[in-house]
Amino acid sequence: MNWVMRVWHRDRLDRDLDKELRFHVDEETRRLVAGGMRPDDARRTAMAAFGGIEPIKEAARDVRGSRWLEDLVQDARYAARTMRRAPVFATAAVLSLAIGIGANTAVFGVVDALLLRPLPVPDAGELSYAVRTGPSTDGQMLQARSRFSYPAAQRFAAELQAVHGRVGAMAAVTRMQVTAGADDQAELVLGQLVGGSWFGVLGVAAQRGRLLAEADDVDIGGAPVAVISDRYWTRRFGRDPSVVGSTIRLNGYPVTIVGVAAPRFEGFWIGEPVDVWVPTGLQQQVKYAANADIDGDAKSTQPWRPQDRIAWLTLVARVPSPTPRSVASSAMDVTFRRDLEPLAAKISDPQRRAFVLRTHAALADGSRGMSSLREDFGAAIIVLMATVALVLLIACANLANLLMARGASRAREFALRLSLGARRGRLVRQLLTESLALSLVGGVLSLLFAKAGSDALLRMASDGPAPLSLDVSTSWPIVLFAIAASMVTGVLFGLMPALRFSRADVHDAMKSGGRVVAASGGLSIGRLLVVAQVALSFVLLAGALMFVRTLHNLLAIDPGFDAARLVTAKLDPRMAGYTPKTMTSFRERLLAATREIPGAQASAVAMCGTMAGCHSISDIDVPGRQRGVGDDADVQEDYVSDGYFGALGMTVVSGRNFLPSDTPESPRVAIVNETMARHFFGDVNPIGRVFVEGDKYEIVGVVRDSRINGLRDTPPRMAFYPFSQHPDTLMRSVYVRTRSDVRQAAEGLRAAIREADRGLAVREVVTLAELEERSIARERLVSTLTSTFGLLAVAVACLGLYAMVSYSVSRRTNEIGIRLALGASPANVRWLIMRETLVLLVVGLCVGIAATMPTARLIASLLYGLTPRDPVAFASAVAVLSVVAMLAGAWPAWRASRVDPSLALRID
Amino acid sequence: MAAADRSDLLQGTLDMLILKTLDASPLHGYAIAQQINRTSRALLHVPQGSLYPALHRLENRGWLDAQWTETESGREAKVYKLTRKGRARLETEIAGWRRLTEGIALVLEGA
Repeated sequence: MNWVMRVWHRDRLDRDLDKELRFHVDEETRRLVAGGMRPDDARRTAMAAFGGIEPIKEAARDVRGSRWLEDLVQDARYAARTMRRAPVFATAAVLSLAIGIGANTAVFGVVDALLLRPLPVPDAGELSYAVRTGPSTDGQMLQARSRFSYPAAQRFAAELQAVHGRVGAMAAVTRMQVTAGADDQAELVLGQLVGGSWFGVLGVAAQRGRLLAEADDVDIGGAPVAVISDRYWTRRFGRDPSVVGSTIRLNGYPVTIVGVAAPRFEGFWIGEPVDVWVPTGLQQQVKYAANADIDGDAKSTQPWRPQDRIAWLTLVARVPSPTPRSVASSAMDVTFRRDLEPLAAKISDPQRRAFVLRTHAALADGSRGMSSLREDFGAAIIVLMATVALVLLIACANLANLLMARGASRAREFALRLSLGARRGRLVRQLLTESLALSLVGGVLSLLFAKAGSDALLRMASDGPAPLSLDVSTSWPIVLFAIAASMVTGVLFGLMPALRFSRADVHDAMKSGGRVVAASGGLSIGRLLVVAQVALSFVLLAGALMFVRTLHNLLAIDPGFDAARLVTAKLDPRMAGYTPKTMTSFRERLLAATREIPGAQASAVAMCGTMAGCHSISDIDVPGRQRGVGDDADVQEDYVSDGYFGALGMTVVSGRNFLPSDTPESPRVAIVNETMARHFFGDVNPIGRVFVEGDKYEIVGVVRDSRINGLRDTPPRMAFYPFSQHPDTLMRSVYVRTRSDVRQAAEGLRAAIREADRGLAVREVVTLAELEERSIARERLVSTLTSTFGLLAVAVACLGLYAMVSYSVSRRTNEIGIRLALGASPANVRWLIMRETLVLLVVGLCVGIAATMPTARLIASLLYGLTPRDPVAFASAVAVLSVVAMLAGAWPAWRASRVDPSLALRID
Repeated sequence: MAAADRSDLLQGTLDMLILKTLDASPLHGYAIAQQINRTSRALLHVPQGSLYPALHRLENRGWLDAQWTETESGREAKVYKLTRKGRARLETEIAGWRRLTEGIALVLEGA
């Protein structure tokens, strides 16, 4: 029997042992009786020879080698009995632990999905992605970019062969319009162009058909094939195996599905799960024109693949394991620099040349894929993780206090056991088993709602219509985290009471009839716990107040446009087959249709628009101006219809608006924003000045700054051009301002788009106010959650404080009675008790402030309009905690002052 | 708590005696004690306090096998039997014991 079995059969083993020993005694008795002894004496003698059955049993049990486990089982049973005896305490403890651990597990689920989990591919640790880094504008910081041209990818792949590394190229994940089958219903999916080696480099297998291979991506415009993800296969095709071999239209171009990728694999970009992959050769066919760095002399309307001046591909490399990433990384840099130097030599401006020459390329760890969310949301989620962890700590302190209070009533039990020879370690172990039992039950319960918590987080953190697309389904790491969190919690809140009570002075406890006289005053464990709670809740509260103030600051920003009663839709006419030639007629048709919407006051279209997550950045030349380094000459541009500023409520502060007289034949005009005017022209009036961006543009007007990229981002330098002079240009946003209900206007806009083109899928129709709100979704999430938890922490801490002071009052009833009898006034007594609260509060606050000062700068990047040492937040946190703590202390103090001296003295 | 070892026997010899006794035939605990007492002509007395823990230890190590069987008196007794591993162990123990006594004898004679 192995030891597990031995524990399992413990009862049977004990029975057997008993039977065996009894047999021995009986045999011995029989022998003695046979020798002439009286049965009674014989039995006594036989028993005496044994010297006590129980010690033998114990010794026999000890040799089983499973003693520790048997003890554990025994302790666990005892713990269960203890819980049953105090069901209210047990339920409250388990529930509060379940909530505390659950909150931690829920946040951890997101942390795991976003920051920790490796890609579901073999040997993910071998994967890297290429970045090029260069000094930023001021030359101080490094800025990383991860886009390269296709020829650069091939040169790099050739270089990496020396170390047996392989390179796969991929474009950004973009929305594509799919029409499939007879119903011809247009649907938006996430599509990605990938090189022929990409699936091979990642090591992904097909679960149906085949994946893209080198042969699929040789020719430009060749191999009209596609691979779909497991999720898309399930969602759209109901896992129908016959889908392999069928044809779908991707942005109007027919491609054949050749396979389904392995389950769980959704691409390299975490948070952007790909539905359809197609070869890079189809860039023109599927009208891919997103996320690219296009140099001035590149031909963006021609196929991108052969062009070296269009950087649009992210390179994923697999370097087989003995070779360190750094070796491949240097190889990469050599290639990059070899290409860079002839280009740099052509730059005449020495400052600019030096700047270009400072750029390098390297490989970064790609084992966890890439994600734009990590930058945006990573810091916020870590703050949330820290918040919930602190709340759990405070809850631990409270539970420890509760256990101490309960332990006081059990002190007699412990003292008795100690005096009967129980070892201290055994008692500590038993008490820890009890607290661990509580926390593990709580941890298991927490798993029930951790997933729901993670989902809620993803919903709240989203800056789009759908929740963030991260896989937070319960997995081993999450379960292990919950268990580990439970264990740590159980030990944290169980250890102090355990150590405290296993030390109980036997003599005292027995003598005073079960009443333990706790160490009076001084630095008791209970006081320490209360101070810790106050300090921790100060940290949380001060942090929460900073986040609340950040949100408040953001909401107070004047966005520079009027979001009220404005609805907008995002669309991409290219997906429905529009070309630059047919773009004008579509735009005119759409604008005409929007004017018919009931209640419509104004309408406009733009290439990018406001808060649309679209940037087009170019660098310009201003004649007569020396250009600085870096992005000094970069401006963000947009093409708009002539009613755009009016429809969005953006004021033209000087010069004129676009006019119908601005035609393709008339001189090119631009309207710039205040920031751009200031940057390039200083105090000089910019109206009438000229800048060059391919063509020569005359500035005819200056528009007020607006928060085009979201409330958080300061207005960029902006140049607007009229569609009337650039009729071929793509349009992607449409705006309608209504006099009446926005929901009605949204419906009207949807209908107007349908009227303009039936086959065009619209991503969503939303109000601008909603977009504005989404641009601060994360700030709202962080401020809501931290303030909720902060207040919770304050409540819990003050509860602890109240319990502590109440306990001390009840212990000092006698003393208070004497004081009152000797003539102390009730006010004296109240002060006596309040002083205790005050001391705990002040010490707690000091520790809290000392802890917050150095750590607060970690959240600096999440704040807006205040420093991490914001005096208002600190002062408010002190005020709130003080008021609540004084209130918590006032009640026991008042009760103390009402003690009846005659009763108090009679108690003992 | 382990019962105090009240054995008059040299530490570690009890295991060997039990194994040797069972080498002849399977026996229950009481009979083992009797047998050792008898074959040693009452020179050796096995303290019961050590016997049963020793039996269980030997069983756990796989040197003994135990089975509940009916005795002549009609009662169930736990009867121990030497396993193959136990027999090998016995040989090691005896060899060890021989070496020890030889050594002790040499020292005593040399003195």
